[in-house]
Amino acid sequence: MSWLGPVATAARRGLVLLLPAARRDWAEAVWAEAHEVPPGWPRLAWRAGGVLLIAKEGQMSRRTGILLLFAAAAGAAAWGAWPGSPVSHGAAVQGGIIITLALLAGLPLLTRRVLGPPDTRAARWLRAGFYAAILAVMPAQAAIGLFNGAVPRAGIDRHVWDVVQGAGVPGSSSGGPDWGGEIAILIFTACYVAVILALTARRTPVAPATLAIGVGAGLALGVVMYALAPLGLNFKYPDRPWLHGSAVDPFVALAWILVFGAPLVAGVLAGMRCHVPGGPGEASVARAWQGFGAGLVSGSVGALFLTVSGTGTLALLVRSAWVRDWLYHGPHLTASALYGRELYATQDATGYFLLLVGFPFIGLLLGLVGAGIAHATGSLPDNGGPGGPPGPGEPEPVPDPPDGRRLADAPELAALAGG
Amino acid sequence: MGSRAEFSPQTLSVLVALSGQPSAWQHGYALARQTGLKSGTLYPILIRLADRGLVEACWQEEPAPGRPRRHLYRLTPDGLAGAATAVAEAELAEAEPTATKARPGASPRRGRGVAAPAVP
Repeated sequence: MSWLGPVATAARRGLVLLLPAARRDWAEAVWAEAHEVPPGWPRLAWRAGGVLLIAKEGQMSRRTGILLLFAAAAGAAAWGAWPGSPVSHGAAVQGGIIITLALLAGLPLLTRRVLGPPDTRAARWLRAGFYAAILAVMPAQAAIGLFNGAVPRAGIDRHVWDVVQGAGVPGSSSGGPDWGGEIAILIFTACYVAVILALTARRTPVAPATLAIGVGAGLALGVVMYALAPLGLNFKYPDRPWLHGSAVDPFVALAWILVFGAPLVAGVLAGMRCHVPGGPGEASVARAWQGFGAGLVSGSVGALFLTVSGTGTLALLVRSAWVRDWLYHGPHLTASALYGRELYATQDATGYFLLLVGFPFIGLLLGLVGAGIAHATGSLPDNGGPGGPPGPGEPEPVPDPPDGRRLADAPELAALAGG
Repeated sequence: MGSRAEFSPQTLSVLVALSGQPSAWQHGYALARQTGLKSGTLYPILIRLADRGLVEACWQEEPAPGRPRRHLYRLTPDGLAGAATAVAEAELAEAEPTATKARPGASPRRGRGVAAPAVP
């Protein structure tokens, strides 16, 4: 049992890390003092008190809850995305899943050291939303890839598959992209996660209100785009269960307007809210940051919302008769026609990749333009002078309390603070 | 500062224990033995008192051979004054009910009978 000591020490050190820096001394104190306690049950009870202290003081419930939630979501995503049967690119898919989860777990630790943790509710929710979206896309993408890559053995389906996909080995299945494709997706995912972590960190120049504006504009963009094309931009068989319009449909026009208008408006609003008590130079830089952030967030949120809902719908489409009936307005299609449409739809899922690249770039450019417009109109004073409504100012990052918790978190502390 | 109403009986017992030797640094285990509190209760109390500036803490400079450094605690001047006030109020409150109505079953842990040694 010689290994027990080092394991216990490592576990204790890991537990202490759950505490805010200002509280770690206290946990170490309990452990140091344990050497003075008589061995046996008294010493064990003393150390148990140390664990209790960590639980009480370390925001352990929140941090542990977040860790457990992430672990559960990551496990579910990996389980859903893991190739169930031998596929030709199975190793690449498995590697992609593992590295994606490692990126999601590791990048926040890296950005935390460089830029600090998220310290506003808007930042935390935005991070959580991005993580949930990326995890949700994984199994949906796997289901689509498996369906799209599975070559029927014979019959009319095989003929349809050949027409849509080209020649394939009967009964084989790719189940996802090869290593090259996986690496591209991984690099792209890493960039997405790094950008959103940087925008939501404590030392970001982007204000929480700007994040909220960007999310609102992005959700509006994503919802309208999804309503317009729930299965992606499939021009061969456009599937719009509630819209039967064409390319000149007002809703189509609205979608195009939103693609460019949402980040622009977000940039203008974020720029207008920005109030800097410095010179014009500082104000223009600050507004540029708000426009940049609002546009980037709106484009990213819009693209990610569209990707999650679109790939989710596609994944359900190939598994659920109800979704097929809903999208194709009743079971009027023959089996082969239905299979062909499903193949075309899933084939177009790669288009979401382009949206995920394009929307954020469009967003950040137009957000900057919007901030420029806000700065040019000068609707808010930079030095508190006349010229606009008294904006709430740039919300300062709220530092964590010294012990990382609120006064009223513990009854004992509430009692102490009561007077 | 230091009104008895602010402190729970357990906190009061820690203040009392610390005020017994106001200038001496005390260890957590010694305090636990004096107060009868478990480590999971004692240390959060010490943390709150330190946060309020009533207790100061430091690490032992020269630990015993083969032993880790210990964390030491004592009352600050504010803590000493607060403890004196709180203990005096506790004694007063202890005396009043017994003068008007006997409470033979009152439990010290319910905040009615904290043992309060003399505060220098």
